[in-house]
Amino acid sequence: MQQREEKQLEASVESLISRVAHVKNALHSFIYKLENEYERLTWPSVLDNFALLSGQLNTINKLLKNEKTPSFRNQVIIPLLLSPDRDEDLAKLTEQRVPVFSHEIVPDYLRTKPDPEVEEQEKLLSAEATRIGPEVAQKQIQALNKLCSSLLEKLNNPRDDRDSESATLRQNKSSFNPADTNALVGAVAFGKGLSKCRPPGPVPGQGPMMSGGSNLQQVPIGGGSSQQAGMGGPVAPQQQGQPGKMPSSIKTNIKSASGSMHPYNR
Amino acid sequence: MEAPPVTVMPVTGGTINMMEYLLQGSVLDQALESLLHRLRGLCDNMEPETFTDHELVYLLKGQQGNPFILRARRSLSHPTAPWHLRYLGQPEVGDKSRHALVRNCVDVAASHSLPDFLNEMGFRMDHEFVASGHIFRKGAMKVVVSKLSRILVPGNTDNTERLSLSYLVELSVLAPAGQDTVSEDMRSFAEQLKPLVHLEKIDPSKQRH
Repeated sequence: MQQREEKQLEASVESLISRVAHVKNALHSFIYKLENEYERLTWPSVLDNFALLSGQLNTINKLLKNEKTPSFRNQVIIPLLLSPDRDEDLAKLTEQRVPVFSHEIVPDYLRTKPDPEVEEQEKLLSAEATRIGPEVAQKQIQALNKLCSSLLEKLNNPRDDRDSESATLRQNKSSFNPADTNALVGAVAFGKGLSKCRPPGPVPGQGPMMSGGSNLQQVPIGGGSSQQAGMGGPVAPQQQGQPGKMPSSIKTNIKSASGSMHPYNR
Repeated sequence: MEAPPVTVMPVTGGTINMMEYLLQGSVLDQALESLLHRLRGLCDNMEPETFTDHELVYLLKGQQGNPFILRARRSLSHPTAPWHLRYLGQPEVGDKSRHALVRNCVDVAASHSLPDFLNEMGFRMDHEFVASGHIFRKGAMKVVVSKLSRILVPGNTDNTERLSLSYLVELSVLAPAGQDTVSEDMRSFAEQLKPLVHLEKIDPSKQRH
């Protein structure tokens, strides 16, 4: 009976040592990265390191909770020999971190009492617990149990029950609206929704000249816009009623301009 | 009809044919803060830059179908800075596997007489808007998060009204023609911004109607 327990203890201590060694290595490489490759470090790789550490801590937790692991609380470590001399084997074992097994390091490394702050908090909690009284405590336990069971129920229920809720939830949580995307892209690309002064009713049969739909009719005409000086004059009065005529007037303008600007080309 | 890659063509003068690779998406106002935080972490480490720009789009209607479009942009936060004139060509219909919208892009700076000059040339202003927001950079990639506002009275940039409750997010790269690795890099960067915002290739011609 005792032998089995001893074997179990040894095995669990071995696996715990190896897991802790993994965490130590991960921490070591992370600290090295933070100190030496500071400029080149990117946020995604920092996140990866943290994820690795959290995963390793999780495995340690699982290991400790494993039923095959004996309770370590029942074991007591007693130092048999303390000496102020340097111990080479110990130094090698601990990578030069603990060279001497002396009176100074024992209180730190073999400590079993929790930190003073933690002790204070535990005392407060146990005082609070005794103060409440058994009935109130029972009620609180029941409330907690009810919450947990309803949560479990929600999680375990079949999908079709949840789908309607999750659809609305997802809509509330979603951080972008595809309709907005299309509206914004349309606005930037060709001014959808940006121009004012619409002529009464869209004119049908505008032909290939009016690519871009009704927006091109809405070029701010006459009135307040000072940009309509110069060549805008002959175009403006024709724009309002008969967009069909506009192509011809522009053609004429352009022809005349090119004719006068390159007299030597032909 | 695509120009051969720059390495093959002898550089005899003129400008290199630059293409703009573009991915667009949007983000709702309430998610803007988290998007900005994420971008600050992912992009190059510099002070976040904000901008307020007034863009005017000019059209020249010729005899053929499509009008010629030029975009003039000036900064409202730096009034003395020169104007920026940009031409964007039609999106290239290459293979569908390319992840970003690719179009020819020509950028020049211009003086403050640009609107008058364009009017004299025969361009007409089609629409204008005010864009303000933040700009981030990562290597050659530029991420612009902007809020678009409609100008209520033409020419008056103080009186504006927001177009929608979302911010437009654009990821763009300016690169010479023929570099396809650019769109791969853009796609992997866009992956890192999900699920906050979905950056995708939005074909503007599909949006017209």
